[in-house]
Amino acid sequence: MRKVISFTLNGYNVSAEVESHKMLLEVLREHFELTGPKEGCGQGECGACTVLVDGYNVDSCIYPAFEVDGKSVVTVEGLLREGNKLHPIQQSFVENGGVQCGFCTPGMIMSAAALLNENKDPSEEEIKRAISGNLCRCTGYVQIVESIKKAAEMI
Amino acid sequence: MKRFDYYQPESLKEAYQLMEKFKGEALYVAGGTDVIVRIKQRAIEPEALISLRGLKELRGIKDNGGLTLGAGTLFRDIERYPLIAKEYPALHQAASMLANLQIRNVATVGGNLCNAAPSADSAPPLIVLGAMVVLEGPGGKRKMSLEDFFTGPGQTAKEPQEIMREIHIPEKDANTATVFLKIGRVSQDIAIANAAALVTMENKVCKRCRLAVGAVAPVPLRLKGIEEKIEGEEITDDLLQEVEKMVCDAVSPITDVRATKEYRRTVSGVLVKRAIAQAVASLEG
Amino acid sequence: MNQLRFVGSNLPRPDAPDKAAGRALYIHDLKRPSMLYGKIKYSEYAHAKIKHIDTSKADKLPGVRAVITGYNTPEIRIGFIRDNFALKRGKVRQFRDEVAAVAATDPEIAEEAIDLIKVEYEELPGVFTPEDALKEDAPLIHEEDPRGRPRKDNIVPVPWKFVSGDVEEAKKKAAYIAQGHFETPLIQQSCMGTAGCIAEFDLQNNLTIYTKTQIPFLAQNDFNRALAAMGLKGKNTRVIVPTLGGSFGTGLDTHAYEYIAILLAYKTGRPVKIVLTREEEFTALSPRQPTKTDIIQGCDKDGKLLFREIRMLLDNGAYTSWGATTPSVMMLPISSMYRVPNVYYETTIVYTNNTFCQAMRGYGNPQATWAIESNLDDLAEEAGIDPFEFRMINRNVPNDITPMGLHISTCGHKECLEAAAEKLSWKEKRGKGRKVARGVGMASLFHVGGSGRVYRSDGTGVIMKLDDFGNVSVIMGGVEMGQGLNTALTLASAEALGVTPDKVTVVWGDTATCPWDVGTHASRGAFTACNAAIMAAEKARKKVFELAAEHFMPRVKKQLEKRKKKDPDFEIPDLDYERVRDPSEFDMKENIIFLKEEPDNPFLKVALEEILRAAHFKQEGTMIVTEAFYDPCNEMIDPRTCKGNLSATYIFGTQGVEVEVDLETGRVKVLHVVAAHDVGRVLSQQAIKGQIYGGVIQGLGYALCEEYKTDKGRNLNPNFLDYKIFSAPDVDFPIDIECIETIDQEGPFGAKGVGEPGLVPTAPAVANAIFDAIGVRIRSLPITPEKILAALKEKAKG
Repeated sequence: MRKVISFTLNGYNVSAEVESHKMLLEVLREHFELTGPKEGCGQGECGACTVLVDGYNVDSCIYPAFEVDGKSVVTVEGLLREGNKLHPIQQSFVENGGVQCGFCTPGMIMSAAALLNENKDPSEEEIKRAISGNLCRCTGYVQIVESIKKAAEMI
Repeated sequence: MKRFDYYQPESLKEAYQLMEKFKGEALYVAGGTDVIVRIKQRAIEPEALISLRGLKELRGIKDNGGLTLGAGTLFRDIERYPLIAKEYPALHQAASMLANLQIRNVATVGGNLCNAAPSADSAPPLIVLGAMVVLEGPGGKRKMSLEDFFTGPGQTAKEPQEIMREIHIPEKDANTATVFLKIGRVSQDIAIANAAALVTMENKVCKRCRLAVGAVAPVPLRLKGIEEKIEGEEITDDLLQEVEKMVCDAVSPITDVRATKEYRRTVSGVLVKRAIAQAVASLEG
Repeated sequence: MNQLRFVGSNLPRPDAPDKAAGRALYIHDLKRPSMLYGKIKYSEYAHAKIKHIDTSKADKLPGVRAVITGYNTPEIRIGFIRDNFALKRGKVRQFRDEVAAVAATDPEIAEEAIDLIKVEYEELPGVFTPEDALKEDAPLIHEEDPRGRPRKDNIVPVPWKFVSGDVEEAKKKAAYIAQGHFETPLIQQSCMGTAGCIAEFDLQNNLTIYTKTQIPFLAQNDFNRALAAMGLKGKNTRVIVPTLGGSFGTGLDTHAYEYIAILLAYKTGRPVKIVLTREEEFTALSPRQPTKTDIIQGCDKDGKLLFREIRMLLDNGAYTSWGATTPSVMMLPISSMYRVPNVYYETTIVYTNNTFCQAMRGYGNPQATWAIESNLDDLAEEAGIDPFEFRMINRNVPNDITPMGLHISTCGHKECLEAAAEKLSWKEKRGKGRKVARGVGMASLFHVGGSGRVYRSDGTGVIMKLDDFGNVSVIMGGVEMGQGLNTALTLASAEALGVTPDKVTVVWGDTATCPWDVGTHASRGAFTACNAAIMAAEKARKKVFELAAEHFMPRVKKQLEKRKKKDPDFEIPDLDYERVRDPSEFDMKENIIFLKEEPDNPFLKVALEEILRAAHFKQEGTMIVTEAFYDPCNEMIDPRTCKGNLSATYIFGTQGVEVEVDLETGRVKVLHVVAAHDVGRVLSQQAIKGQIYGGVIQGLGYALCEEYKTDKGRNLNPNFLDYKIFSAPDVDFPIDIECIETIDQEGPFGAKGVGEPGLVPTAPAVANAIFDAIGVRIRSLPITPEKILAALKEKAKG
């Protein structure tokens, strides 16, 4: 079955007709041609697909597209500022070695965004818990945690 | 992945009607963190999913002497509820250790219980807290204790058309502490074993004790025999050693890809022992 | 030594902003017009005859454009001994065997079509351990060798044997001996971005393939061979590499799925994309080579190592790939880590119906070091010598030639050992924590640092192209997979040329436009590319200064005249504008050309871009493009003796770990990790830290929780739910990094490779710390709580 879902995507009102078995990740990547959220496992384990739905960081690969109707979705693309400027969190990842292969980076940044929206001065432990659902194979997490800590100071 | 229809009923009545229509080919889904994953793994192939997400009557935490949790309450909300952290720490601990943050942002306590994995993290704390679950279907409501709700791995006493409505936790006695412990292969994991303990202390003697373990039997298991052994006694190191041995005898774990049954047996005893000790210590401190 | 401006700095990665913005394009993000989606059908048995494949239903499914099997496509042999096939015919030898494939307009239709293909099998008895495969009556995995000659056993004809000195004699003289059997499991690279490719043919039947690879040029060679097998001999392949979501060795060979995409693209005449799901990444790619090792080491009464004897049994899986060549790298620590005069090493490699293995970060070194460094602690214990002291007695030294013929030049082994011991508080902690089940342990590593010559050419080419604006394109044949090669190359190029890093753009990943490179592996990327860049930069500087000789003073004059026009009061200085200058008088730093004689004269400075434009925009103008091909001074090892100077330089390191063991649950808690590495010179601070932190965490995963589990050849945990890698909360201990700079003569600005060493010694360091904490020696990885409890129980009994 199909349905037209209407929601805000990165600040814009959008709509799409989607099939009932589609997950949000596929709709974002195929219909809206976004490349930020990625499929790393398809089963809600790795967090590469993390986006914000109504401010909460969720795995879009297991989030039914029908459920996003009426909600607000933010992907890493939505953090970019006018004039192609990086958001402070993105900037901090760049400056502090938080990016290596980059595949986990968009999801990691969205989890960081969710954290910093709620907690302006997180401890290292709180940061690690906030990204507990974002796997990274390259960095060993150390410089990612530092990036998020420094981002908190910047914001 | 096989295609499925997805319905979003706006009332419980509508949900029951949809379930009746699909006669066994549909599943209720809340957060989807179990159901959607199993569909993607091709473990199940339902024709339709009936989402309970939109049903407001399933949400909400009510503090009414005891605690009433709507079955649709998100783990994230349980984790953040100050009263739960203060009065029902075992439940708070379980909610904060379950899976990871993204999962907790959509997963519901009702979903966790109805999925009925023997390792369900919310089960041991709710069992020791004496939780009653309210099931509702087209025929009306019924209540049962949570321990009786689980009937086998992935199996419950719930009829296919029924949903879980809410979970009642009775009022807590004074001088009562609860602790939840879990062990996995790494910090984020399905429990290899988990345990919860509730102790009510009076003059150094344990007046009341409730114990439950998960992932070491076909269902989350209440340890009645061991509770009886502890009630009325002082919690000494010797008693705890005995309790540890009794737990190992009481459980019936299996070997799977995550752990051997020998390890689960050993570690379940350690967890129960530690949970009791920590609960007692938290009252003294 | 001149002060370096960019090399060694903390400049951010040039590729980081796009990645942080979600704009970098991985294979998953690429689309080509009229592209089809391919999917593969895998075997349902570990060992079986293929009786019949019925594709009739799949053929008819709307949206399906091609269905292929080994029976309706030309045979394409793959693997370096050619015992594998893109699509299987006759029989299947492992669960991941590819038996059919489909191309359809939609990935869901492709999946449906795969389900509609029915394959009839006749199951054959399977063999799942190398010991069983060696038995007399064991079923043959391959009845014939690649040349069609009948085989009589399951032994893979890739023998490795190394002998130096006389081990038997040395055994007689040894005062202390330690023996042990050590095992390492299958583990998976677990890149966050899975493998995939898009294959497409042009109207001349030349192939372009976008693919996740570390070896674009060797892949081009492999694919050209495949084209020849398809009747397209003489046609060419263009390999284009997109942004890689990690690689860790998965891209070091060409894979069946790539050949299948090529076959589908040829059959349909349309681009075909195949991307592996996470489950396929686990089950259908090749994990790290598992090992079973018997080791004996012995020393004299003063603790000097006398001999090392190692026999290894390797489960080759069903087909032969790089797993069977890991002994060539294991040879390094086995023959040359610490100074050991007598060494014997022999391997037996056996076919089974398990999955076959390829390359993974470290390429055999972690497996060998696991045995050597664990056993070394056992030997130190026998000899009654502190393990740190024992290592200091036997440590490698600079300017030494090892029994394998490796020419060690720079060697920071001593400094690494001392740094690890100090940062770990070794003297205060070793042997003192038993009461609280705490302990410290260390282990060293020895690896190639100046590439490793395993192919006929070990070269890397770089082209430098300067444009009219003073921008420099540094075009290289290597790949950036997150390790920071682009960063290192940007900094080294800027430094060597005399421009600022923001003027440098690294161009990579296209065999049609980039110069040849053997591949980004063996930690060689930065070492070779930066060396080539330095050579090309030298040539470019030479040309720049030749142009400056002609154009510098005229530009200076023009600048001054311009200024006079603006500011009539300005006095034009009296310089010798007519003197023709010699190129050797010039220097260039941060985009500005100046005279060596007068570096601070504000009037005698001209921007590089001005000189370039002056030289270009005139009659018989000229532009600067230079190239260099750097092939290190290393050699291939002699296949009979396994001796030869494999690398241009070698790297050393020592890691130390402090642990606490929970005696009731067996859980090992890591309290502190110290990683001291001889890196030659730090090229990029961010990149080197990333490599070492990342390596340490992978090393800890290898040590404590990673295991690719199988049951009769079938993978039991093909997902992150049950294949556990560390997540952020698991890293709840400090990691101290110490980079020892030995400034190597061969290395670019003295730098040596650093991609792999981070995870080589971690596991034995953990095992050695556990021994200190609770007095038990665990000999198989991963060190699970089960094994700890079982070992404690054993210890309590005996």
